[in-house]
This record gives sequence, C-alpha cells and structure tokens, in this order.
Amino acid sequence: MSGPPVVEIEDLYYRYPGGFTALRGITLTVNAGEMVALVGQNGAGKSTLARHLNGLLRPASGRIRICGQDAARLRVSDLARYVGYVFQNPDHQIFRETVAEEVAFGPANLELAPAEVAARVDAALRFVGLADKRDVHPYALSRGERQRVALASVLAMQTPVIVLDEPTTGQDYRASLEIMDRVRELNAAGHTIIFITHDMELVAQYASRVIVMAQGKVLADGGIREVFRCPDILAASRLAPPDITCLAQELAPFGVSGDILTVGEMVDVLTPRLGKVRC
Amino acid sequence: MSGAVGYVAQDSPIHRLHALTKVVWALGVFAAALAFVDVRYLAALLASVLAVAAAARVLTRLLPAMGGLLVFALILVFFQAVFLDRGRVLFYIIPWVDALPVTDAGLVLGVAMGLRMMAVVLSFLVLLATTQVKDITTMLVARLRIPYDYAFLFSIVLRFIPVFMREARQVDQAQRARGLVLEGWNPLRKLRGYAPLAVPLVLLSLRRAEQLAVALEMRGCGRGGGAVTDRPLKIADRLLVAVLLLATGAALAARIAGYGT
Repeated sequence: MSGPPVVEIEDLYYRYPGGFTALRGITLTVNAGEMVALVGQNGAGKSTLARHLNGLLRPASGRIRICGQDAARLRVSDLARYVGYVFQNPDHQIFRETVAEEVAFGPANLELAPAEVAARVDAALRFVGLADKRDVHPYALSRGERQRVALASVLAMQTPVIVLDEPTTGQDYRASLEIMDRVRELNAAGHTIIFITHDMELVAQYASRVIVMAQGKVLADGGIREVFRCPDILAASRLAPPDITCLAQELAPFGVSGDILTVGEMVDVLTPRLGKVRC
Repeated sequence: MSGAVGYVAQDSPIHRLHALTKVVWALGVFAAALAFVDVRYLAALLASVLAVAAAARVLTRLLPAMGGLLVFALILVFFQAVFLDRGRVLFYIIPWVDALPVTDAGLVLGVAMGLRMMAVVLSFLVLLATTQVKDITTMLVARLRIPYDYAFLFSIVLRFIPVFMREARQVDQAQRARGLVLEGWNPLRKLRGYAPLAVPLVLLSLRRAEQLAVALEMRGCGRGGGAVTDRPLKIADRLLVAVLLLATGAALAARIAGYGT
C-alpha cells in the first residue's frame, strides 16, 4: 500500500537558539500513502521534528529529503507545495473576514489561477463540512469549526504530505473521531499523513504505523501492534497503550493475544471463550 | 529576540542582588546615557553594561538581542551621517554627483546615538534577565511607594512579552507554512504582507486581555489588600545603591561641568 519515499530523514540534529538540543540523531523514512502517528510526551521533539518537514526549522546537521528533493535547498514557500501543516491552534492563522477567503490564502500564495483557487476552496470546504459557512466570519464559528477552517486552508493547498499537529485538541470525543475519519479519507485519497497526538486510542484506530519519540530520539518505529506489544518502550516515553490493549495484556494468561487494538477485536476473541451466554 | 527578554533562572552575584539595586543601576545607566554625548564616554558606559551582563552570566543569552540592536544602531548611524551636514566631508554616498555627503561630525554623532541606545536597552535586558518580575513589582510597591495597580500593570506587561513573542513566532510559522512570503522589495506589498501576521496577533492579545481581566476579578483583584513587604536590603545592596547614586550624581555633575559633551 505504500509507494516511494516522500520523507527521508537522515541523522537529524536540532538545537534551539537557547542551546537545548531537541533532536538527537533522527533517521526515518515515510513512504507515500502511509498514515503515521508521531507520539511521545511533551518535549520529546515531535513538533520540532514535524517543523523540519516544511522548513520552518532548519537542521543543525543531518539531511532531509522531501519528495526526493533536498529540503535544505528549498524555501519554506517552496516546501509549502509539498508539505501542508495544520497547526494546533487555528487562531494562530485566521486573519481574513470570511471562511472562504481564509481558505483561499494558501492556494493563492501558490500563485494558482483564480478559478483553480476557487475550485479548491469549494472542495476543501465541502470536505470539512463547512460549505454552508463559506461567507461567515471565522470568529463567528465555534472553536471546533475554526479548527476545521484551518484544516481546510491546508487541504486547499493539495499537498502530497499533510502534517497535523494534535488535530483533535479541544474537541470532544465524537468531533475527534469525525476529524480523524476525514483524515483517513484523505489518506485513502493518496495523501501521506503524519499526525502528532497524545491520544493512544486514536493511534490504535487510525494509524498504520507509529513512531515513538522520547528526549529527541526515536524509541520505536513500526506497526502499531508491534509497538504496543512492548509496554516497556511505551513506558519509557510515559505513554500507555489504549485501555483495551492493556486489558488484553492482563488477560494474556488466559491465552488472549496482547496486540488487540479495538473493542471489536476483543469481542471477537472473547465471544468463543465465553460460550453462548447472552442476555 | 524572544529568548533574550525575560528572566534567566540561574545563580550569579548579579542575580543575588536586590531588585532595588538593579533598578537603580538601570536608571543610572539611563541618566548617564542621556547626559553624555561624547563617543568615548558612551562606549565606556556600554562596556560597563556588558561587564555587568558578563558577571551575571547572561552575555550569551543577550547575543541575539544585541544583533538586532546593532542593526538599529547602524540605521541610526546612517541617518545621522546622511542628514547632519556639519563638519568635514569624508565621502559622498552617491559619489558621481556629490550627493548625500557623509561628514565626520555626522558619523561620530550617529555612533554616539547607537552606543547610547544599546547601553540603555541592554541595561534593562540585564535587569530583566537577572531579576524576577515579582521582585521588581514588590520592590516598586514597598520601597518606591508606587500604587499597586500601576506596579502590577508594569509586571503584567513584562510578563506577557515572552508570551507575545512566542505567539508571534507561531503565527509567523503558521502563515509561512501556507506559503506567505515576506521577501521582496516592494514596500507596499510588504506592508500588506504583514496583515496575516498582525491580525491574528491583535485578536489573540485582545482575547488574552479579556481572559486575564476575568481571571483577576475572579481572584478578588482590585478590592485592595494588605500591606506588601519586601525582602530586606543586605549591607552589600545598601552600599551598592549608595555607590550607584553617587556615581550617577557624579556623572551628571561632570556633564554640567562640561565633560563628555
């Protein structure tokens, strides 16, 4: 399901101007079509790493290739064609007076024809379910809706790679699932997705691969089942697998496999063992 | 620049001084910088500020700010050099038509203004890097009898500078990630280009101000409270304050006597 590499990172180091070394030798490759979760406790370096993908931060040493090109040679405005970045707080970007204008800002910066910009704005707004709010002032919307405006404003740029920095912050559970469902559709449509999150349930449900970071290094990188099966790695980064996986691991003496990710899977495993008692 | 404004939590002889001592020092630097015009005096003053920064071990932290200040200083030098037509002409900026003469007096005055600006700003940055804002506020209220509301206002302003800087950086990143380009020479385009940065920042700040007001009221701010007591002044602080006041007085007296003009 995965295509050629779109993100290639080699021995990346980054130091903040204050002197704090935030990334210590990151090496990883993300292939086209993957849906990757980037997890780790606060300060592990997730956002710092993600901000290297579109050139907002530049490595102290190491190399980054985006869609086959050396990122060091591209300006942020060039990289914006390849990597879209949805920030945590939509209020850090919203400045136009209508939702549609706000969403048009990115594609217009790519110097597309006005008709193309308009078409992309329409498509993006329809995708996030805000087509009927296109002429509304963004600040008249709820926080969750503004988050979707921010998402649309990046979608409209139609980048092959989309980075989402905690896309579900401040959303209730249902809204989180809705957003992630949309993100999964984007992935199915061919976008490579990298999302940063603290929510292991979302990781279990949506990601195909998880990268665990701690103290500026990659602790684990692999399929979700593979990584969740190693509680010590997660513990080292102060994360816990989803409750249902923890339960499965507790039930290991009863022959339940420790890599169960969803309630549905648990039901499938348990029903034959519990017999046909139904209430 | 954002890394440069704000308290640097560490231990140094300067950090251990009382807030009053450091405020008196910063004000003394300010007075001396305004008093003197002579480049050599101002260079010495700046050197003394840098020495204090070194003693406080914040010199490297101030480097980015110094870089920024240097740019402003050079702009000051440029304008003084171009617009002051006293003195001997050294060279012309547009030599083939003898336009925009740069004179020795203009150059010297520009350098003096740059040095003065850097000394004053850096002394306040050193004060902020070595003194917690709450200590300054307490000192202002307890020792200088400044009404609490004003001292508190001052502390809020200082407290939110780093927050504002961080937010400015995030807004800048969010817009550049959407392809905003602020390069280029067209000043009109450049000015318009700042709207994507300025609008979110202003809105965020307004919202923060409102939230802060509510939070303050919720905690009973404005009802008036008990007396504020400050840390005692140590002998070293008392001595230093006396020395600084004397030195500032001496500097002003020297200026009136005609030195350093």
